[in-house]
Amino acid sequence: MVVAESVTPEIVSLDSGGRARMAAIIDAALMDCDAITRTQFGTILTVIRLAPVLRFGRAFDRLDGDRKNAVLRWFQDCPVSILRKGFWGLKVLVFMGYYGQEETWSEIGYAPDFDGRAGVRHA
Amino acid sequence: MRELDYDVVIIGSGAGGGAVAKELAPLAAAGKRIAVLEWGPKLADDAFTGREVEMARQLYFDSGGVLTKDRTLTMAYGRAYGGSTVVYTGTSLTIPEDVVKRWDVPGIEYNDLQRRSAKYIEENNVHKLEESELNDNNRLFLEGCIKLGYRAQQFPINVKGCRSSSLCNLGCPNGAKQGTHRVQLPAAEAAGVEVITNCRVTRVGERSCDAVVADPGFGLPSSWESGEVRVNAKVIVVCGGAINSAALLLRSGYGDRLPTLGRYLTLHPALILVGEHPHEISNFHGHPKSFYCDEFWESEKFLLETCMYFPFITSKNLIGFGAEHSKLMRAFGRLQMILVLAVDPALESNRVLVDRDGEPVIDYTMGPSVLDSLHRSMVASAKIFFAAGARRVHAPAGASFFIERKDADRVEELIPRSNVIPGKISVASAHIMGGCGMGREASDSVTDSWGRVHGSPGLYVGDSGLFPRASEINPYVTVMALADRVAEHIRDNAGELLAP
Repeated sequence: MVVAESVTPEIVSLDSGGRARMAAIIDAALMDCDAITRTQFGTILTVIRLAPVLRFGRAFDRLDGDRKNAVLRWFQDCPVSILRKGFWGLKVLVFMGYYGQEETWSEIGYAPDFDGRAGVRHA
Repeated sequence: MRELDYDVVIIGSGAGGGAVAKELAPLAAAGKRIAVLEWGPKLADDAFTGREVEMARQLYFDSGGVLTKDRTLTMAYGRAYGGSTVVYTGTSLTIPEDVVKRWDVPGIEYNDLQRRSAKYIEENNVHKLEESELNDNNRLFLEGCIKLGYRAQQFPINVKGCRSSSLCNLGCPNGAKQGTHRVQLPAAEAAGVEVITNCRVTRVGERSCDAVVADPGFGLPSSWESGEVRVNAKVIVVCGGAINSAALLLRSGYGDRLPTLGRYLTLHPALILVGEHPHEISNFHGHPKSFYCDEFWESEKFLLETCMYFPFITSKNLIGFGAEHSKLMRAFGRLQMILVLAVDPALESNRVLVDRDGEPVIDYTMGPSVLDSLHRSMVASAKIFFAAGARRVHAPAGASFFIERKDADRVEELIPRSNVIPGKISVASAHIMGGCGMGREASDSVTDSWGRVHGSPGLYVGDSGLFPRASEINPYVTVMALADRVAEHIRDNAGELLAP
């Protein structure tokens, strides 16, 4: 969850229901994946958590915000493609867990309507 | 294993399978037994909730995120009564004559495809929306293109009674989109064609196929009971979509005598780009896709289209994370979106394989020309956003997360080609083509120009797998036109093909 909070800071303020919904969405997505992908997800999460020990002497969970961002940015731009892609996949799962919740739509101003005709106004 | 006997089995119910089913309906009306076996479920009308994650899970393979082998690209294709026609936006273009010439398939003529396309355009109520139905997201795209002198055109779309929900890609909740689930399949069923949902075909042979019926836990129940079944048929038409059709034939052993099976896969690799306006615009109400720009189609090999996606898909397509990512997401009501489609070359090395379990593996690599197209498309899109009044632009390959308006004349410099890094930027595909290409003979193709598998008189392919190269436009009308040919060939040869 610490990595998820760095990917999407709003997760910090989710209540227990929101966190449970997020976990349920991510769990369901992982259950739909093949075993190899699930293993890779667990591996990249572990690597992200432990890799900072080499540079900062501390695991990811114990870094301050700036250093957490620096670590994630390193993974995002990593020349080692498997780490770069792994971070991308992790990020996507976090986004799915947060933005996939109907309850967060109002936070970003998304309000779909089956009948959207009244909303087709012009700038 | 249960055994059932049919005259014709159609595997898949999307643009290809639906068209074949309707065109063969007269045979069903005349007493022939015809079944459509669809892997996905049929949802009740009130089950289209518009909830992104829920609908993606129920209507797409892998929730719309099927990964390529190298994990640099995701593919979205439908699994439902109606296949991908349930979840496309309904943009209905006829394949250009130049593309048909590039296809260079003996027996495939532009005039023939154009005539058949026109039939489906009429059948599917294709028309252009009225100006009053166009939202700001679409109008701003047009405005930007006009200011820059870029050629832009309005999409004809296949809706009837559209209520501007903008939820097309999650299955229209109003039943307005005229996919095969609304037009061709009901017509076929009315004539006696059976459509069996929740039915996955695992293996296909010359005169039979094996299938498994399983309840996915949502949707209406299948008309067949759960379990394994062998379906004997005199004619089998494979319309499972480019990935699954190739995979089905490969795991059924056809790769041994058809060396191009699964190969020459093209995907129209796509990016979603975002510009933020200083004020709210109408974007998530109104049809999402009204205009396209083909200014760069020939010169730089990409198309630009209007689009509007949902929160998760949008978040996934932005580069970055953390506070700046959140900030842009919180501007959702001010976002203008453009979809890029790169026209990718048909390469032998880009292909569908099957793993040891017979599951499809998509071995596809975006080559330098595709990455060049994606890069140039970001630059062109940034210019359109700024010309339309955006205060800042997010380009996945941007040197910074935002390109501000004051830097609008520096977009070439601020979106470096070196930043187009596979595995970092989100690239997706919803136009999956090839793998069962048409051609002259078994050494260079999988089928002839009628979709008949070389060396197998009763086995046909009738979907986008037939494309020998990319369609270079949204492909569904062309799929229907080719499926129409397949059905015609079966009808014309029914006496021989369906003889007892």
